[in-house]
Amino acid sequence: MPGRRTLLRLAGAALLLAPTAASAQVTDTAVKAAFLPKFARYVTWPAAAMPRGSDPFVLCVLGSDPFGTMLDNAARSQTIDGRRIAVRRIDSAAAADGCQIAFVQGSRTRPAGQVIAALGKKPVLTVTDASNGSQRGIIHFAVVNGRVRFFIDQASAAQRGLSISSRLLALAIGVKQ
Amino acid sequence: MRNLLGGGWRSAPLAIFGLALLIVLAGVLVSIQFNATYSRARVEQSQGFADVLAASSAAAVDFNDPAAAQQTVDAYRVNQQIRMVGVFDRQGRTLAGYDRSGRPVAPNIEGIPPETGNMIRVQSPITQAGQTIGTVYIDVDRDIRSRIILRYLFLVGLFLLAALVVAALGLAQAQLRAANRQLGDRAEALAQANELLEEQMGERAKAEEQLRQSQKMQALGQLTGGIAHDFNNLLTVIQGSADMLCRPEVAPAKRIRFAQAIVQAATNAASLTSQLLAFARRQPLKPEQLDVNALVREMDDLIDRTMGERIRVVTELRSLACRVETDRAQLQSAILNIASNARDAMADGGVLTIRTRDEDGEEGRPMIALDISDTGEGMDAETTDRIFEPFFTTKATGRGTGLGLSQVYGFASQSGGEVRVESAPGEGTTLTLLLPCADFAELAAERPDGSEIVRHAAADILVVEDNEDVGAFAETMLTELGHRVTRASSGEEALDLSRRHKFDVVLSDVVMPGMGGLKLAEALATEQPALPVVLATGYSQEIAEAGSSGRPVILKPYRLATLSHALASAMRDSQSA
Repeated sequence: MPGRRTLLRLAGAALLLAPTAASAQVTDTAVKAAFLPKFARYVTWPAAAMPRGSDPFVLCVLGSDPFGTMLDNAARSQTIDGRRIAVRRIDSAAAADGCQIAFVQGSRTRPAGQVIAALGKKPVLTVTDASNGSQRGIIHFAVVNGRVRFFIDQASAAQRGLSISSRLLALAIGVKQ
Repeated sequence: MRNLLGGGWRSAPLAIFGLALLIVLAGVLVSIQFNATYSRARVEQSQGFADVLAASSAAAVDFNDPAAAQQTVDAYRVNQQIRMVGVFDRQGRTLAGYDRSGRPVAPNIEGIPPETGNMIRVQSPITQAGQTIGTVYIDVDRDIRSRIILRYLFLVGLFLLAALVVAALGLAQAQLRAANRQLGDRAEALAQANELLEEQMGERAKAEEQLRQSQKMQALGQLTGGIAHDFNNLLTVIQGSADMLCRPEVAPAKRIRFAQAIVQAATNAASLTSQLLAFARRQPLKPEQLDVNALVREMDDLIDRTMGERIRVVTELRSLACRVETDRAQLQSAILNIASNARDAMADGGVLTIRTRDEDGEEGRPMIALDISDTGEGMDAETTDRIFEPFFTTKATGRGTGLGLSQVYGFASQSGGEVRVESAPGEGTTLTLLLPCADFAELAAERPDGSEIVRHAAADILVVEDNEDVGAFAETMLTELGHRVTRASSGEEALDLSRRHKFDVVLSDVVMPGMGGLKLAEALATEQPALPVVLATGYSQEIAEAGSSGRPVILKPYRLATLSHALASAMRDSQSA
């Protein structure tokens, strides 16, 4: 019986994965762009770090931007507790004060690790991408079996006063406590 | 009765099946109602599953994570009642799911098989921040197997119950029908028995009628024997005396004695026939107003003699001298009859008490009661009941006619009174004669006793008599008295004669062929109102019923004195009128 169930699961997975695998290269970035604004719903920031009044939620792209308009489109389609999501592209960690989420691409000159370190203990949900290096933010994208997945560093999040929903944790490939 | 029961029970099978149907119907209704409730509960429960799944798979859908979604979905496999679970994204693509039957889940929402009757399909939207990002579908068995079994068991039980009811009622009905049939058979048998009984009763009645008839004949024979005996005795005396009279040279004293013997015998014979007629209640009464006390007093000697030496006679005359209107001779005869019966009851002697007293009859009508009591052997109830029956006698054949007390009864009835008897064995007998008081107290003049022959001037008399002997006898007697007699043998002839010759008086028989005496008298009254008519009869139904319209009537057998007296007074009355 368990064997059969496993087979079934594999078959189901194969079916589900089939269409996405065909256009993986194109969509991985799009998927990541779509994911970024969504994280906000599963994370709780300290009250002080929340936007004031009716200010929008701010999603920053620190350094180079791989998403372009994809991210803007994705952000536009999402709201967090009734707030819009604004995408801000900044160059330095010093400019990240108003950001709730920061995607850190990093570069050869300024690797992601450095940028993250520069952010210090700011209550910012840092997101990194495995395709850009092994430096990890709190959430770290990775493509597994052709699908965009992510790791979560809960310890790092806790240090920054962020609390991550278990529902998001359940989706992670791995969680660092 | 059969139809009555039969009619009611003919529709019984229908009623039974109706009842069974009702039970099944009620059961099915309950089952349906139960099922509906159960289904609603199941739908709600399933909706709950779907809602929970939608919430818990929201993140997986959000991040397009089929594996995570599948993991969430797989948790539902524990529930054996869930057939299919599908988690679909916003575009309707299948993100995760499973099918209990092992078939792969359709790749998108359009591909899932349509809903069937035995499943419950629920869906729940997957929402994230107010946006619908996908849908969850869950198909659940409408019924769990145990419930289906239970339901079938319930229905089977229901049908069994209905069948049992039908069987039980059917059996009861069959038994009832059998009982009914038996009852009908019995009723029929009863009717037959009844018919037989009625037939037997009819036969019995017929036999009784025959018996009565034969008893009547026997009684008639007894009566005839008694009468013949008495008459023969009397006729012997008459014949012998007449023979003696016919002999020449009979001494005058002897001749008178023979003649008196004949007269006595004839008187006795007349009394015998009068008793017969009284019994038949056909004797014309000659009512007159009588003082009963006086009459009893007059009879004292006679009764004393009749009773003999061993019986003492006591009279207590307490009546307050109210008078009765009745026939003297009949009353005397009744008293003598009762007295002689009392004498026969006191073979060893005793006391005869004759008592008169006043008594109130019906509606307060004053009556005289004449009690005649003896201290004799008495009678049992059976005898008491029968003493007034004609021909009933306790005396030896030839000793009594059995008519004595029936004469009393007939006389009392005819006089508007009654007769009672009180007796018990060993305690004597009291017979009470009740007679109504006359309306007026005036005592009618005593009639001449008829022993004196009235001499009258010679008259022309028309004697109408169809019987030659009686006619000749009357002619002889009247001629002897010095009258001129013309005879007619019919009413018509008499009427004819009366027109041609003037008569002083007409003596006519009542019963004659053709024009009878009454008709003749009426005709004469119209033609010659002054001509008096005297009627003579032995018995006349007409006179008994209608009376003689005031004309004098003499009874046959009549004696010379009676005849001469009646004719004389008739002529006297017509002259004075």
